[in-house]
Amino acid sequence: MIWLGWRLQRTETLIAAALLGLVAVVLVPTGIEMAHAYSTDGLSHCLGFTKGSPTCGDVIGSFEQRFSPYTALVDWFTLLPGLIGVVLAAPFALELERGTQRLAWTQSITRRRWVTTKLGLAVGSTAIVASALILVLVWWRQPLVKLDGRMDGGAYDSQGVVILGYALFALGLALAIGAVWRRAIPAVMVSFVGYFVARIFFDTWLRKRIASPSSLTWRASDRDPLQLFHSWVISEGPSDSHGHFLGHIKVFCAPGQGVCAFPKRPDYMHALYVPASDFWSLQLVEFGMFAGIALALIAFAGWWTLYRE
Amino acid sequence: MIEFHLEKRSGVPTYLQVVQQVRQAVRLGILQPGDQLPTVKEVVAQLTINPNTVLRAYGQLDMEGLVEGRRGVGTFVAEGAAPPPPDDREELRPALQKWINRARSTGLDEDAIATMFDDTLRPPAISRVA
Amino acid sequence: MSDAAIRADGLGKQYGSHWALRDCALEIPAGSVTALVGPNGAGKTTLLKLAVGLTRPSEGSIKVLGLVPREDEAALMPRLGFVAQEHPLHMGFSVKDTLTLGRRLNPSWNDEIARKRIDHLDIPLDRKVGKLSGGQQAQVALTLALAKQPDVLLLDEPVASLDPLARREFLNSVMEAVSEREMTVVLSSHIVTDLERVCDHLIVLSHARTLLAASIDQVLASHRLLTGPRGGDDVVSRVHSVIRESHTERQTSLVVNANGHVYESRWEVHELDLEEIVLAYLGYRALEAAEQ
Repeated sequence: MIWLGWRLQRTETLIAAALLGLVAVVLVPTGIEMAHAYSTDGLSHCLGFTKGSPTCGDVIGSFEQRFSPYTALVDWFTLLPGLIGVVLAAPFALELERGTQRLAWTQSITRRRWVTTKLGLAVGSTAIVASALILVLVWWRQPLVKLDGRMDGGAYDSQGVVILGYALFALGLALAIGAVWRRAIPAVMVSFVGYFVARIFFDTWLRKRIASPSSLTWRASDRDPLQLFHSWVISEGPSDSHGHFLGHIKVFCAPGQGVCAFPKRPDYMHALYVPASDFWSLQLVEFGMFAGIALALIAFAGWWTLYRE
Repeated sequence: MIEFHLEKRSGVPTYLQVVQQVRQAVRLGILQPGDQLPTVKEVVAQLTINPNTVLRAYGQLDMEGLVEGRRGVGTFVAEGAAPPPPDDREELRPALQKWINRARSTGLDEDAIATMFDDTLRPPAISRVA
Repeated sequence: MSDAAIRADGLGKQYGSHWALRDCALEIPAGSVTALVGPNGAGKTTLLKLAVGLTRPSEGSIKVLGLVPREDEAALMPRLGFVAQEHPLHMGFSVKDTLTLGRRLNPSWNDEIARKRIDHLDIPLDRKVGKLSGGQQAQVALTLALAKQPDVLLLDEPVASLDPLARREFLNSVMEAVSEREMTVVLSSHIVTDLERVCDHLIVLSHARTLLAASIDQVLASHRLLTGPRGGDDVVSRVHSVIRESHTERQTSLVVNANGHVYESRWEVHELDLEEIVLAYLGYRALEAAEQ
């Protein structure tokens, strides 16, 4: 049965591997370039809260500017887990569309074994591809993470176990829709859109609500607080001494210079943030949610296929 | 080696056709005593019929003493299954011609003669549906 | 062998509000070759799918080799071969891959039988299944079913889409397999003529009902056409079951399933061939259905 499962999954696994290969083609040379620039520019001296010499600001700025096209591109890679998941769900949906599961069911294996093997292979291959993707992305982003931490949006969802959660979610969604709809291509496309919507929903609305952010108020004249270093700042702005944000502050921004000045220097600043130390707990919670839903969807796909006829 | 054929619309059951063809083959000397009949598998391949039908035909022939089955070897024409002497057969045709002449002289046309022959050959109580 | 290879008891299957099969009670003797005939939609495919476990009964029960199709699938499926109507195969697989599928999924698979069959049929092993002719695909599907050496073989309209030569070759293959090992075969078709020389049992289905289930010898021996002057059918129907009756001004014709010998002297008694008997049953049913 394993032979059959692999044989039927061959094309899609190759597609997923090709996607990974494409990613590698983009990331490997640029990653090497970034790592090289990082060491030759001496950026390792600019780490830490107390950012060493005054030139650090410039060096960091130019480093980031130089590689900003790459980071912009890699931000789009957040769609990849979804693509991988739906592609690896396609063999299952295709079988149901063509009715060839009935061929397997009239051989000597049990229907349950057929379903669990196929779904197991899909989950396993998704996990492997997603894990490879995580490794490449983590390796690539190392210099930037050292500089800016990994709580920031673009970095956060390409740095840890959440990617596996995303891929499994996309897989589960495509398996479930494919099991019910029995038309592989539309199911895959709809699932990918569903993945996209779910990600946007989570990124923009849900994540900050489950993160139980901390609050901090400090005198504006003090330098930036330690807690905010490499953290995810949800909101930050002038406030009163009790931490209530002040509204209606006119900010004059000189056009084209990216410098904004307050008319009156605020007394206090307040921030809503998630510290860098929360990285893993946040990742695990997010992973748990996506993977948990994925599990439910996969189980549903299996149950529906087994008991619908 | 004898080759069987099936007449679908003859109304005669398949196994009986096989029986008749074996009898005929023995009569005509195509099958001699000691000759092996085609195996069940061979007949099935020839005619696309149920193997049980062949077994039934061979079983009937065995009962009639015309053939004998040897386990693990095959079915063979029995010794002493002699064809009727040719003399009898030589006399049949002129006798038939004589009868036909007599029937014509009583005023029967060809169809009526054929019907009478048919009815006499096969019992009249059961007739075939056209 | 008097054991029933397949036994159905009050078997019924409902899809939504439509009954595809209802009140089906029959026994298919072991070692027989049974023809399952009826018009499209009569319930033949449903009956076979219930026997092979591809669907579950809505009421009643069915047992194959004494086992319940879905519950006992692990014990039953190695002994049960099935060729579905569309004979689903993986079109992208080569013939070799398809045989590998059979080998991997069936512990009782005999690879030599499979290879010999494919060889004998001159089907190239490395050709993609999608590129084979309809007849060749049917033969590959049959090979999958036969090479695991089943005790029961179910074929759902396997020759419906084939040309006459391919049809003959397919049936020939099946008969050859039967001559090699004791097997119970059920062949469904809406064409009766193919099946008469090959089958020894007959089941007639129409509109989800079982109209007839008996050995062909018995059917041929007990069904008769009675023709005679108009009227008198009520007398006959008291003793025998009248399957179909038709009247002209002067004549009445009855197809009966005779309960014993037909004594009536006013009737001319004729034998019928299998196709005519089946048609009588199907016509009867269609008439009834039309009248409702």
